[in-house]
Amino acid sequence: MATSTSQSSVPWPNTKDDYELGKVIGVGATAVVHGAFCKPRNEKCAIKRINLEKWNTSMDELLKEIQAMSSCNHENVVTYYTSFVVREELWLVLKLLEGGSLLDIIKHKMRVSNCKHGVFDEATIATVLREVLKGLEYFHSNGQIHRDIKAGNILLGEDGTVQIADFGVSAWLATGRDISREKVRHTFVGTPCWMAPEVMEQDHGYDFKADMWSFGITAIEMATGTAPYHKYPPMKVLMLTLQNDPPNLDTGAEEKDQYKIVYKKEASKRPTAAELLKHPFFKKAKDKKYLQQTLVAIGPSLETRVQKASKRQPGASGRLHRKETGEWVWSSEDEGETGDSSESDTDSKPMNTLVSAGSSGSDHESSEGDPPPVNLVLRMRNAKRELNDIRFEFAVGKDSAEGIASELNSAVNSNETPDDKALIGYAQISIMD
Amino acid sequence: MPLFGKSQKGPAEVVKALKEAVNSLEKGDKKAEKAQEDVSKNLVLIKNMLYGTSDAEPQADIIVAQLAQELYNSNLLLLLIQNLNRIDFEGKKDVAQVFNNILRRQIGTRSPTVEYICTKPEILFTLMTGYEHQEIALNCGTMLRECARYEALAKIMLYSDDFYNFFRYVEVSTFDIASDAFSTFKELLTRHKILCADFLEMNYDKVFSHYQRLLNSENYVTRRQSLKLLGELLLDRHNFTVMTRYISNPDNLKLMMNMLKERSRNIQFEAFHVFKVFVANPNKPKPILDILLRNQEKLVEFLMRFHTDRAEDEQFNDEKAYLIRQIKELKPIPGH
Repeated sequence: MATSTSQSSVPWPNTKDDYELGKVIGVGATAVVHGAFCKPRNEKCAIKRINLEKWNTSMDELLKEIQAMSSCNHENVVTYYTSFVVREELWLVLKLLEGGSLLDIIKHKMRVSNCKHGVFDEATIATVLREVLKGLEYFHSNGQIHRDIKAGNILLGEDGTVQIADFGVSAWLATGRDISREKVRHTFVGTPCWMAPEVMEQDHGYDFKADMWSFGITAIEMATGTAPYHKYPPMKVLMLTLQNDPPNLDTGAEEKDQYKIVYKKEASKRPTAAELLKHPFFKKAKDKKYLQQTLVAIGPSLETRVQKASKRQPGASGRLHRKETGEWVWSSEDEGETGDSSESDTDSKPMNTLVSAGSSGSDHESSEGDPPPVNLVLRMRNAKRELNDIRFEFAVGKDSAEGIASELNSAVNSNETPDDKALIGYAQISIMD
Repeated sequence: MPLFGKSQKGPAEVVKALKEAVNSLEKGDKKAEKAQEDVSKNLVLIKNMLYGTSDAEPQADIIVAQLAQELYNSNLLLLLIQNLNRIDFEGKKDVAQVFNNILRRQIGTRSPTVEYICTKPEILFTLMTGYEHQEIALNCGTMLRECARYEALAKIMLYSDDFYNFFRYVEVSTFDIASDAFSTFKELLTRHKILCADFLEMNYDKVFSHYQRLLNSENYVTRRQSLKLLGELLLDRHNFTVMTRYISNPDNLKLMMNMLKERSRNIQFEAFHVFKVFVANPNKPKPILDILLRNQEKLVEFLMRFHTDRAEDEQFNDEKAYLIRQIKELKPIPGH
C-alpha cells in the first residue's frame, strides 16, 4: 500500500496555532467554514468553526455527529481529521473539498448554459450517483442512516472525488440482531423535498431505505436541476409527497426508467444501495478524471462561492424537523415560500453548514436591510393526535398572511368534529418573542 | 450460498483462529499482514454469527451460547481489547460490536457476560485506559458505556482508582474523545441512582475536589458540561445528602456566584441552576446566609436583569422571581 507520504506521520494537531485560517467558504447560523492550512502537516484542510455559545442543543448532538463521521473510513464519505475547542468555539478539521457541492455546480450550470435537455450527460450522472451509492452502501453497512441525502450534501474534490457530507441528522440503526440499537427510527428529520414518505408519516418508523428515496430525488435533481415540488413550501411538499404517485423522470430530458426502481412509496420495494449498484445503468459510469472535466472544471470558482457565502446572512433555512422530544421545529431562512428557487439548499441546523460550505449558491441572496423575521409557532395535532409545535419564521415583506393561511389549511385536516379548545380540526398560531 | 466458503466453521474454530491471529499480531512478526487479514476475517465471521447479514440470519441461540462460552474460556475478549490498537479500522468497530452484543446476551434474567466480566475486571480497566489512546478511544467508549448499563460493572468502575482518571480524560484536547469520556463519566455518575448516591456520599471529598478542577477548567466545553452535570446531580433527589453537603460550603456558593457573571451566557444559565439550590435551602448555614446577606442588594439587582430575554421559559422566570423574593426577604439570624 502506498502510504509512504510523510504527511501521515504527523497526527492532526489540536492547537489553533498549527492552522492558518484561509477564506470563509461557508456560513451558517452557528458555524463558519474556512479553507485552512495545517502547518505541521503541510496540508490543506477545511475548518468548521462552531460557536458553542450559540449552540443551544445538547452537546451530545454534536458528539453524535462527530462520532458518526469519525466511525467512517471510506472514499465517498467526508473525511474527519480531528476536533478541538478554541475558547467558545469548536473547530472541526475536515478534508477540504474544493469543488463545492453538487448543488452549487447544478445551479451554476443552469445559470450559464441552456439546460432544457438535461443538466448533465448520462455518464456524469452515472458516475456521481455510483460514487454516492458506494458511500451510502458503506454508511448503511455501518449501521447508519444519513437522512439528508441531496445534491447540497454531496461535495466534490478538485480531483473529482465525490463525498457525502453533513452528518448533522444522521442516525444509528440496528441491523440483524443488534439489540443495542433501535430497529427503526421514528424521528422526523430531513429536508422536505428529499424526504421519503415513511419518514413524513412517522407511523411505522423507517430505515436505510429512506436514504434510497432521497437518493432517487437527488438523481432527479441531477437530471433536471431541481427536486420535485421544489416550488412549494415545506408543509405542502409533505402533503404532495404523501398524496401523489411517486415522482419519476419523464419530465426530464432523458428517459431513465432505471430510476423508477427507487421511486417506490413502499420502502420495502426499493433496492438497497448494494443492489442498486449492480444496475446496468452504472456501467455508464466513468472515473474521477471524467468528473473533473464535466463537473469540477465547469463549476463556480471557489471565489464566487466565497463571495456568496459571505453575503448570506447567518440564520436558518428550510428544514422541518422533529426533535426527540416530539417537538417539531421548522427553521426557515431560505425564503422558501417566495417562489423561484425555493429548494432549501442550505440547512438551518448549525452542524449542517458543512453543506453550505459549498452550497452557498442560493440565487436569492437576502438583502441585508430586511426587517427581522417574526417567529411564529404553529400548534396542531398530528395523525397520532399528539400536539406538535412547529416553529417558523415569517419574513416581513416576503411571506404573506394568505400563504400562512393556506399552509394552515393544508396542515389541519381532520375528519373529527372540530373543537377549538382541544385543537381538533383547529390549529393555533402564536407569535414568539 | 454462504458468502465465505469456510463459513461452516463452528464457534470453537473461529474463536481459536481469531485468538491465534491476535497473538501473532501482538508479536508483530513478519506475518503481521497475514495476521491482520485473519483477524479481520474472523471478526467478521463472529459478527455475522451474532448479527446475521443481509443474506443470512443470525445463528441459532445454541450456537451463540457456544460462541460466548468459547469467548469466555479463551480469554479472547480481553486479548482483543488489549490489542485493539493493532487491529485495523473496521476491525476495531467489529470488536466493539461483538463485545456489546455478547454483553447484552441474557439467559432468563441472568447476564452471563456481565457475570464473566465481574470475575475479569481487567477488561473494564483496559477499556478505561483506552481513552489515553486516540485511535481506540471511541471504540473503547462505546464498549464502556454498554458496560456502565449494568450496575455490577458500573460499581467496579466507580469504586476503582482508575475512575479518577476520567477527570483527566474529559479534558483531553481532542473534542470527540473528551466528550465521549464525559458521556461515560456522566453515565457512571447518574445511571444507577442508589449506587451513585452511595458512591458520592462515601467519596464526597475526593470526588468534589477533583470536580472542582473541572469547574475551573480552561476548556470551555469542560466547564460548561461539568457545571450542567453538577446541577443535575444536586437536583436529583437521590443525592439529597450530597446536595445538602455541597450547598453548605461557602466556597461552592462563591464559585457559583462568580460563574453567574461569566462571559458565556450558557455557563451563566447553568450556574443559575446550581445557585438557586443555595438560596432555596430553608436551613442555610450561617456562612452561606452571611454571603447572601452581604450581597443582598447586588444580587437582587443582578437577578432582575439576568437573562430577561428568556421570556418564553416559564419555569426559569418563576424560579428567578422566587429567588429574588427569597433574597429580598433574607434576614440575619436573630441574636447576632
